[in-house]
Amino acid sequence: MHEHDIERVLKAAGPREKPPAEIERELRESLRHEWRAVVTERRGRRRTAYALAAGVMAAAIGAWIAVPQFTAPVQEVGTIAQSFGDLRVRSGWLGRWQEAGDGRSVATGEVLATGPAGRGALALAGGISARLDQSTQLRVAAADRLIIDRGAVYVDAGADSASAAPLEIVTPAGSVRHLGTQYEVRVSNSGVRLRVREGRIEWSSGAGSAMGVAGEELTIAEDGRIGRGAVASHGEAWDWVVQAAPAIDIEGLSLAGFLGWAARELGCSIEFSSAGVAQEAAAVILHGSVAGLAPAQALEAVFTTTRMQAVVANGRIVVTGRDAPAQHD
Amino acid sequence: MGPRRVDQDLSTDRQLIRRMLAGDEQAYETFFNAYFPRVYRFALPRLNGDVEATRDVVQATLAKAMRKMADFRGESGLFTWVCQICRREAVDYIRARRRHTRNVVLIDDLPDVRRAIDTIEAPEEYDLVRSHGRAEVGRLVRSVLDRLPSNYGDALEWKYMEGRSVEEIGQRLGIGTTAAQSLLARARTAFREALEQVFGADAADIAGSLGA
Repeated sequence: MHEHDIERVLKAAGPREKPPAEIERELRESLRHEWRAVVTERRGRRRTAYALAAGVMAAAIGAWIAVPQFTAPVQEVGTIAQSFGDLRVRSGWLGRWQEAGDGRSVATGEVLATGPAGRGALALAGGISARLDQSTQLRVAAADRLIIDRGAVYVDAGADSASAAPLEIVTPAGSVRHLGTQYEVRVSNSGVRLRVREGRIEWSSGAGSAMGVAGEELTIAEDGRIGRGAVASHGEAWDWVVQAAPAIDIEGLSLAGFLGWAARELGCSIEFSSAGVAQEAAAVILHGSVAGLAPAQALEAVFTTTRMQAVVANGRIVVTGRDAPAQHD
Repeated sequence: MGPRRVDQDLSTDRQLIRRMLAGDEQAYETFFNAYFPRVYRFALPRLNGDVEATRDVVQATLAKAMRKMADFRGESGLFTWVCQICRREAVDYIRARRRHTRNVVLIDDLPDVRRAIDTIEAPEEYDLVRSHGRAEVGRLVRSVLDRLPSNYGDALEWKYMEGRSVEEIGQRLGIGTTAAQSLLARARTAFREALEQVFGADAADIAGSLGA
């Protein structure tokens, strides 16, 4: 085969497809982040190994004296409610990463991480749901204390603020405690961003403390300055949270109960077109499964089996009888 | 004919991996530029041309490859190894989303062809040109280009499809004209050998089969 044959073959086969530039840009940056995390982690492990080697004698003596008094037992703090794509876990800094499947228990001392295409939902003690966005690393320090190294975590502590279990999210710049709420904590190179979807949160750092209320977005710069803005309880800002929502078991659940779940996940209020429709929603008992469906899809799937219809618009789920026109704004 | 490797040179693969794991930004750029487009093209037809699915699978594949890079033993070329990860990621993606009701089996995935293209080891008595359509054979030729060391495929495309001069190719690769000339010669040889091993006796007539 001569040079001109090669040219003919190449021309006949046509050019190789070029990936879309937008995807190339997006993946170049997200994978760069992932690569840096791999490098940082390897360096940390090496440092740890050197430190361990250097201090082994001292550690042995110290452990002999102190371990009986200071060893904290590993405590199970919850389970992985649902993993979406790449979710990994390891025990401490020296452990090996393992893929984390649904139902796996999560214990103190463990580190959870999602890849650039992964997300995960944790069911923690006290009914708290914590969700990890893509490219997030979270350490479980205690049953009521999570440390976020990078990425974003969303916390839903339940609708009842009085009975909400305590939880502290520790970031490199300070920590957040909720007062019965739904909120997001995102750590980036430029600082920390807090978005409060419902209820209130308290931010604490060496520079002082601040409160955030529903509909507020707080940005904490590297120098500790706090900026405030507004964020809606629904819409694009919460898309990843909705996508990472764990499935709900609807078997035996009332339609009203299911609606409450969907409304909470979507950040919407519920409006019934009449008292009769509200009563009917309370009386309808659901059977079957909506596993694998996102909240909006689940809502649509469930309502097709009833005599009612639900329309999601402008932060509201409007429920009407099948014959009545659903109201849009 | 014994198996011959025209996949990436293993010492270069290992060097690239060492530099990446050491935190060399330029190494990351080299890795991304070399592997992203090829893995994308590898995944796209296996996901029925679904661009969104391909983005997710390629992202998951390259992320996993970077995390497992320290364990890469060089038993195959780096690209072949990444493609193995990509195959598994695509299957997992399809299972998880159940988006594709049609099971995509590409010509590249037929056992004989896969063995040939993974190791560039010729399947005996296998007539690809007559067994498959022109479009599929054209795609397989482009897959062969992707399996060559990345600079080879790019250099051949720039020279013979885009009509760029050797000087321009040298500039693009950051090497001198003589080095570019030499690289093109090696690229032609590698491409010719790869075609012969994948298409067997039909390699000489592959351009005719493609309607050229």
